[in-house]
Amino acid sequence: MNETHTIKKTVLHAQNIRKSYGSRSNVQQVLKGIELRVNEGEFVGIMGSSGAGKTTLLNVLATIDRTTEGSILIGNSDISKMKDRELSAFRREKLGFIFQDYNLLDTLTVKENILLPVSLGKMNKKEAEAEFRAIADILGIKDLAHKYPHEISGGQKQRTSAARALINRPSMVFADEPTGALDSKSASSLLGTLEDVNKKRDVTIMMVTHDPLASSYCSRVVFLKDGTIYSELYRGDKTRQAFFQEILKVQGVLGGDSIDTI
Amino acid sequence: MTLFDLVIRSMRKNLKHYYLYFFALIFSVVLYFVFATLQYDSAVIEQASSSMKMDSAFKVAGILVLFIAGIFVIYANSIFLRRRSSEIGLYQLIGLTKGAVARLLFIENTLLGAGALVIGIGVGMLLSRVFLLILMKLVGFNDIVELSFSMGAVLQTALVFVVIIALTSIQMVFKVYRNTLLSLFNADKQGEQPKKPKSGLSAILALLGIGLIVFGYWLSAHMLNELLFFNMLGVLFSTILGTYLLFRVTISWVFYQVRKSKQGHLGLSNSLSLASLMHRLKGNANSLTIITVLSAMTLAMLAGSYSLYYSTEKETRYMIPFDFAFEEGVATSLSDNEISAVDFEVELEENGIDYTTGTIELLGVEGTHEKGIFPAIFDMREEIFNAYFVNAKQLQKAGLEVETPKDGSVIFHNASMMAMAKDIKIPFKMYITSGETESVFTAVKYGEGDVVNAVWGSQLVVSDADFEKYKRTMKPEKIVEMTPESIVRNVRVFNIADKDQLAIASTIRNSNQDTESSYGTDYYLTYVKSMQVNGLLIFIAGFLGLVFLISTGSILYFKQMTEAEQEKQSYTTLRQLGFTVKDIMRGIIRKQAFVFGLPLLIGLLHSVFAIKAASFLFMSDITVPASIAMGIYALIYLVFAFLTVGYYRKTVKAAL
Repeated sequence: MNETHTIKKTVLHAQNIRKSYGSRSNVQQVLKGIELRVNEGEFVGIMGSSGAGKTTLLNVLATIDRTTEGSILIGNSDISKMKDRELSAFRREKLGFIFQDYNLLDTLTVKENILLPVSLGKMNKKEAEAEFRAIADILGIKDLAHKYPHEISGGQKQRTSAARALINRPSMVFADEPTGALDSKSASSLLGTLEDVNKKRDVTIMMVTHDPLASSYCSRVVFLKDGTIYSELYRGDKTRQAFFQEILKVQGVLGGDSIDTI
Repeated sequence: MTLFDLVIRSMRKNLKHYYLYFFALIFSVVLYFVFATLQYDSAVIEQASSSMKMDSAFKVAGILVLFIAGIFVIYANSIFLRRRSSEIGLYQLIGLTKGAVARLLFIENTLLGAGALVIGIGVGMLLSRVFLLILMKLVGFNDIVELSFSMGAVLQTALVFVVIIALTSIQMVFKVYRNTLLSLFNADKQGEQPKKPKSGLSAILALLGIGLIVFGYWLSAHMLNELLFFNMLGVLFSTILGTYLLFRVTISWVFYQVRKSKQGHLGLSNSLSLASLMHRLKGNANSLTIITVLSAMTLAMLAGSYSLYYSTEKETRYMIPFDFAFEEGVATSLSDNEISAVDFEVELEENGIDYTTGTIELLGVEGTHEKGIFPAIFDMREEIFNAYFVNAKQLQKAGLEVETPKDGSVIFHNASMMAMAKDIKIPFKMYITSGETESVFTAVKYGEGDVVNAVWGSQLVVSDADFEKYKRTMKPEKIVEMTPESIVRNVRVFNIADKDQLAIASTIRNSNQDTESSYGTDYYLTYVKSMQVNGLLIFIAGFLGLVFLISTGSILYFKQMTEAEQEKQSYTTLRQLGFTVKDIMRGIIRKQAFVFGLPLLIGLLHSVFAIKAASFLFMSDITVPASIAMGIYALIYLVFAFLTVGYYRKTVKAAL
């Protein structure tokens, strides 16, 4: 961080994002002009009821899907103008992903899974090994290195997935319902770790979730409704409990999922 | 909605799954029908050349085709069923009884089978004409043969496939009744987890696998002795067991060591090849072994029969250097169809056929030669040997190009020993004892083939002077190992100037072209008959080879298709992580190189040694024809590898 004039620089800047599906006669607009700016070191939660466009937004921002309209800047690169090949390289080098179903390769051990993203990168074996140790230490999966995915629990799998997302020192990590398939204990443990990683390693994280408890670990929560941003909440210095209550309130106003959580 | 509606709907929805099984069925019907037609129609061919017994050859080959096709269909069906497991489970989950599901599958199978039978027989009718033409071409039969529609072939094919459909239906019913719902839903997720091999035992077995193969190869090169039969069994046993150990233990052991050495830094390509292969190696070991061993056998069969066909002309020439030969004096009497040398010459003149002629004298000799000249198998020759002296000058005069040896030297000819020619130590000394006094000759060269038609035993070509000297001084009574009448022989030989007139000349000599007696002395007749036998052989070998090749290729292709679908989620993840299609394909191609390449390579290697071991059956060098046959086999086989890679590419592209 040799820049002195800004405290936190912008990592992601999305302008007027629109995304529609379907043919000409039957267009369905899922994202209707979204503006979003994420600063370095933020832990942003995206909430909203089913069909609000959470996952679509994540996919579009994560370069897995393309926008119909609008521009997205990650770092200094405009990803909406990149070719597929450049996007792939960009994802591999700059982004990290955590999926709801872990998406680990069954044929690889925990360590092999984690080291997969650096396999075509510039990182040499020694650096990769050091990085792996550091991350495995933080995530508490050091002893699992040589186990296969079917031998470990869901929580451990998700930690492995998180480690894989972090191994290449990404500018940003995208997490799609990372706690969706976990029990509440594993979920809060994982979220605690993510929060930790976010603070200690200064990793920017964007997480889609429908669980208010999960989003209470974030530093900011963005609420989507019908493809637009409905409101935003900043945690600031509030305790997680207080932030959780606030999120519940907004969700109550939004309707939808709130009933489940009470 | 009736059950039948359900069948139609599910078939329409599932076309993607069906085409694999449907293709296997049609393919088998076509091949079997073609063979059945040729079998029924071989009468046509037999009329044309009565000496050929094609019918029985086709019957045996037909059974083999049936066997391969049957296994192929049942295998394809089992893959097909595994892919549809969850569908079968779903029907039961929503309340269909097992009986209803079994009925549903049975109706489907019958419809598919009937469809395949109709399409297959239709295609088969078109193809059987092509195959008949190929067969005619191969056996050297130039007239156009009309192939009639054979009801017998249709009925036979239909009957055989009704049985196969019944078998597959039973297979389906078993699948429904013998599996729990849970196992049906999880069928797609099956796959083993690579275990750490027991280091000591695995290492020993791994090396044993390679050792057995190497031993088999070694034995194959050293099996020409009294224990030939046991040696052959030993070769088969040790190479097959070695191959199995190779796939079952050696490879997983090597893979495990490689992977361990990577310490988790496996990289993308290895993740997609090495790890994915290790994941399924146990299940694949059996099929890879079978495919390798059968490939080796097919390759050896193809290479052998193609070599026979390819070198027919050369080998016939080796045994029959002159176009025609007539034994003068004592020798065999003529059969009814044949004419004598004198009449033959007159007829040649009348028909305006240019020729050269001469009489070759054969003088029996007896003697000994230096020890350790011949390979071990000819050990018995070390004691006393018999041969004929032949005068180089007479041969040249009769129209055969041979070089004249120096006085005191001989050129050694023996077509039946040509395969060992390179193992005979030249020059060596011969001590001829059947003259007045013992004389010493030096064999300076091993000549190609025989120099006179249908002579049993070796011929020693000597200079005119040496020949005349021996003729004057020879003592026939000293020759004890030869019958008295065969000690001195005169053979009248003819060479036709224009080889296009050989056929006419041959009919002049033997109007029926069918007797046994002129078979070994008439070059043209012998050549034509050998071509027919070898042509039929290469046709059947080629056909079986093709059937086998397409079956194994398809089985590997189907297996890989299933694997590709099982790994689709991995490709999606990898694409999301930012790997391009190209990156991923690099790993997949590496995996396919293993899946297709290794059985092919080991199969080729096995067959090379098999052919080498059998090369004593050939007089000429068969490197060229054997390489051609193997090359063509490998090329067709690789088409399946490309198709598989194409399928993977499609899957990976569609994964994101």
